Amino acid sequence: MSRRPRVRLRPQGVLLLLCGAALLRIALFGELYLRYVKEGLRPYLVASGAALVALALLNLLTRTAPHDEHDHDEHDQDEHGHDHTRTPRIAWLLTAPALALLLFPPPALGSYSAEREEARVAAQGAGTFPELPAGDPVDLTLGAFASRAQWDTGASLAGRTVRLTGFVTHSDDGTWSVARLLVTCCAADAQALKVEVRGETPPPADTWVTVTGTWHPTGTPGTPAARPVLDATSVKRTTTPTDPYEKR
Amino acid sequence: MDGLRRGVGDGVRVAVRALVYAVVGGVSLLAVVTVGSVLGPMVVLDLATPAMAAWWTVFTAVAVQGIPFLLLGTVVSAAIGAFVPERVFKRVLPRNPVLAVPVAGAAGVVLPGCECASVPVADSLMRRGVAPAAALAFLLSAPAVNPVVLVATSIAFPGDPAMVGARLVASLAAAVVMGWLWVRFGKEEWLPSVRRGGGGPAAAGGWRGFRDGLQHDFLHAGGFLVLGAAAAATFNILVPRSLLDVFTGSPWLSVLLLAVLAVVLCVCSEADAFVAASLTGFSPTARLAFMVVGPMVDLKLVALQAGTFGRAFAVRFSSATWVVAVLSSVLVGGWLL
Repeated sequence: MSRRPRVRLRPQGVLLLLCGAALLRIALFGELYLRYVKEGLRPYLVASGAALVALALLNLLTRTAPHDEHDHDEHDQDEHGHDHTRTPRIAWLLTAPALALLLFPPPALGSYSAEREEARVAAQGAGTFPELPAGDPVDLTLGAFASRAQWDTGASLAGRTVRLTGFVTHSDDGTWSVARLLVTCCAADAQALKVEVRGETPPPADTWVTVTGTWHPTGTPGTPAARPVLDATSVKRTTTPTDPYEKR
Repeated sequence: MDGLRRGVGDGVRVAVRALVYAVVGGVSLLAVVTVGSVLGPMVVLDLATPAMAAWWTVFTAVAVQGIPFLLLGTVVSAAIGAFVPERVFKRVLPRNPVLAVPVAGAAGVVLPGCECASVPVADSLMRRGVAPAAALAFLLSAPAVNPVVLVATSIAFPGDPAMVGARLVASLAAAVVMGWLWVRFGKEEWLPSVRRGGGGPAAAGGWRGFRDGLQHDFLHAGGFLVLGAAAAATFNILVPRSLLDVFTGSPWLSVLLLAVLAVVLCVCSEADAFVAASLTGFSPTARLAFMVVGPMVDLKLVALQAGTFGRAFAVRFSSATWVVAVLSSVLVGGWLL
């Protein structure tokens, strides 16, 4: 009795297709991947997505040779590993992130994470900084503003009007800050950058704003008393940038 | 003619099958949506809390970040399994495992990826007859000492080349010591995949074997990656990093604390230097411990190892590695930093 080769919808193929489609959706057909990882990973995500889809199509469209038709089913004697045609049960977990990305991509981290984290600025030690670029107001990243406010003994921020962009966070003590998260590799390592804003009424948390104002010195640079604070002259709402995190 | 008819028959069968799947799937989706819209508001309020949203984001981020590296690792391991004959490794590596361990540890320099890639590669090395001790030394050293990671470390600690050197030395030392410990104390029965020897029914060579191996290993390891990502996200949400500043007082406690933190946070080895650099309240040795332990032991890796080598192995091996890595970073940190 010879069984005919046939084309089947195999679970491996479906799983691979889901994973590949999810990667392609966030990295190739949009900018959603920036919510989770760095820009530099994009080519790898696209390549992996394409490879997974190709593998899935090969799996779904090729005919199975008749002799290995019998060993596809979930239960067999082999505990693990060598029967490569079987779908490992743990693999079904992959559907969770894949479907999440396809159906309801989780949002970028925002004020919830920023509020829980102490604002940090990379340890640099006090010293002088190069002149700020020309421009009035001058656009600065939160990291640049914060490190100059905390470490610059040359007070390069003094007398300059700066413009910062980030989302709104509120603190328990009633102050509010414009914040952004610094992501090195993926969202799991996000660190908060915050600049306290004074002199304007706070918008609701997680609103993206552009704040214009001047530096408010709080203490000698290099000591813990020096915190990044801005005396705001205007707060404008803005749209969420494509890359919600600050570049390092 | 017959073949053509058969082909058409197959096509129809697939179409019917797809239709059935679509109908069943659609009906159940509708049912879920109906129930959801009735019970929804309560549940959704719960799911949409910022903490839950942050959990999902971190969870997917770890999975998305890990998948390209995992795929790279499984491609390399499937290629080793399908195309590289056993005798190649026999010729390259010294026959004596005691000598093979440092060679394999140093060879970790060539795999430019993070820890997700090294587990499947080490597994396929073992199946190709490489001494488990040597493969394990490679498993531990590859994510810690490759050029990408070392460059990232030097960027994270500008003007502090001693930190890069200390990381290289401490990681290599820990990997080699673990390999030797395995030579002395390791038991084959903790490694079911090796005991059975290479080559099962589907471990065919050539393209077919490559494709089957790749598919299987990726899905298998991917499932465990997702498990690890869930654990990492949970700890990420439960443990605010600012809490750590409380523990910066004692130098010994801070080393242990950062070594534990490295395990639960599961920061990718290419990023952990930046996180370590931001932990400003801690001694250089404690930060070194964070960077040495992280690529060798973390929840995601334990999950991957448990899936690949078995739970008995993963628990023993990871706890021993943790101790060795902490000791190694304390010694090297005292010497170089």
